[in-house]
Amino acid sequence: MKIPQQPLSQRVLKYSLTTLIIIGSLWSAAGLEITLERILDAPRQIGILVGAMFPLDLSQEAFDRIIPKVFESLFIAWAGTVIGAIFSFPVSFLAAQNVAVGIVSRTTKQILNAIRAFPELILAFVFLPITGLGPFTGTLAVGIHSIGTLGKLSSEVIEGIDEGPLEAIKSSGGSKLNELSFGVIPQVMPTITSYWLYRFEINLRASAVLGVVGAGGVGQELINQLRFRDFPRAGTVLICTIILVLTADTISAAIRNRIIKGKVVKS
Amino acid sequence: MINIPKKPAPTYLVTLGIPAAILFTIFSFRRIGFNLQDFRENLANRAIVTDPLFNPKWQWAWENTADALLETVQIAILASIVGCAVALPLAFYASRATNLNKYSYFLYKSFLNLVRTIPDLFWAMLFTVAVGIGPFAGVLALIMFSLAIMGKLLSETIDSIDPGPMEAAKATGASHNQSVFTSALPQVLPNYTAYFLYIFELCIRASVILGLVGAGGVGRIIETQRIFLRFDRISPIIVIILVVVILIEQFSVWIRRRII
Repeated sequence: MKIPQQPLSQRVLKYSLTTLIIIGSLWSAAGLEITLERILDAPRQIGILVGAMFPLDLSQEAFDRIIPKVFESLFIAWAGTVIGAIFSFPVSFLAAQNVAVGIVSRTTKQILNAIRAFPELILAFVFLPITGLGPFTGTLAVGIHSIGTLGKLSSEVIEGIDEGPLEAIKSSGGSKLNELSFGVIPQVMPTITSYWLYRFEINLRASAVLGVVGAGGVGQELINQLRFRDFPRAGTVLICTIILVLTADTISAAIRNRIIKGKVVKS
Repeated sequence: MINIPKKPAPTYLVTLGIPAAILFTIFSFRRIGFNLQDFRENLANRAIVTDPLFNPKWQWAWENTADALLETVQIAILASIVGCAVALPLAFYASRATNLNKYSYFLYKSFLNLVRTIPDLFWAMLFTVAVGIGPFAGVLALIMFSLAIMGKLLSETIDSIDPGPMEAAKATGASHNQSVFTSALPQVLPNYTAYFLYIFELCIRASVILGLVGAGGVGRIIETQRIFLRFDRISPIIVIILVVVILIEQFSVWIRRRII
């Protein structure tokens, strides 16, 4: 029996990639001075840290400090997502090839790419001297980054629509504006709304981190407790963050699912 | 007469959800201290930042960032490789198609979800405390980061594989594990490679900011200059990082196109 073989070019590609991966990881590990000794010792050290967090600090005072910070992260993420959604929505039409003229679409896309390139954290510390320490700076950073990402995703949704309804509106005498409001928007709205919610989930994690540079949220609390070596309280901060993110993720995922798949009809 | 179908009544999701979302938005903006008046006044002081930001000290940046930038790239390479390697078996345990045990499936799935809820910089903070300041902590943090994403993406891909080949393998007398190896694994390998390159790009981006909490890479240089508000030194670093990130992404896109 003759078993067909993979073509030679594919085998060469496969083996050269494997070699590349092995060389790459060895080169990186050597450059970062990561020795086997350190790797073997890491689990013990992590164990010590986790051990130091328990029992968690469940005192009233700890919760009074932590809970407002956790919610601040939630507010930053939500407000940031709303800013991103409001501004990216009209922009995404300008960036879509099938709605805007070629040159407008191309320039808008490049602007969105440029915005997207800056991580929230870098935006945050650039805004910090202007808008001051606090959650507003974080919101601005999250919001602006979201405009870039949501604008790109939404414009791709608009580019993928079915042209049929647009033609029907045109042939029955509808204007360009009619085409947008009756042809494009009803088609793209479910997907775009679900992207907004998806972005909210990502922003929640981003806003939790922003406290590191003083832009509000729970990150500030975690870094402070770790610096003061108050591990039980750091553990509480961590658990509270996990609970918030899990809850928000679950609710948001359920709504997204409902928007995309529609109502379950019992027949 | 034409019978126009009636528009269905809006569901509770719309009638209650939209007002609730608007109320929550107003509440959020008040809680974060949004004030247009203050914002406009503060904006008048933007020169503190924008003047140095647009007068970059290129010379300084060239001389001081090369080593740290290399470290950033190395962190991303090592972490994405190790993270994705560890995630491969985990993903098969976290998929209903390949893990027949309901309880162990649930356990692995929850573990991946739990890892995913903790943001990358939180991992970095925790690991700097546990194993000390430096790139090793950064590598560990990004391993957790890439492990969580790969675990989710790959396990969902495994969920939706074609069950036919696995059945065929079993029909020829293969055990469950053998059928997974010979029939499920080859089906998802192209996706695995594509996800790996995607995660590598994410890691490159994420590793830039690890240094802000002492986990190595170019972020540590940004952090020291940030504290002294030396935006004239930060802006060229940011531009250099962007160029490197874009070049690496182009390379990764090129490889992805070759493979798939």
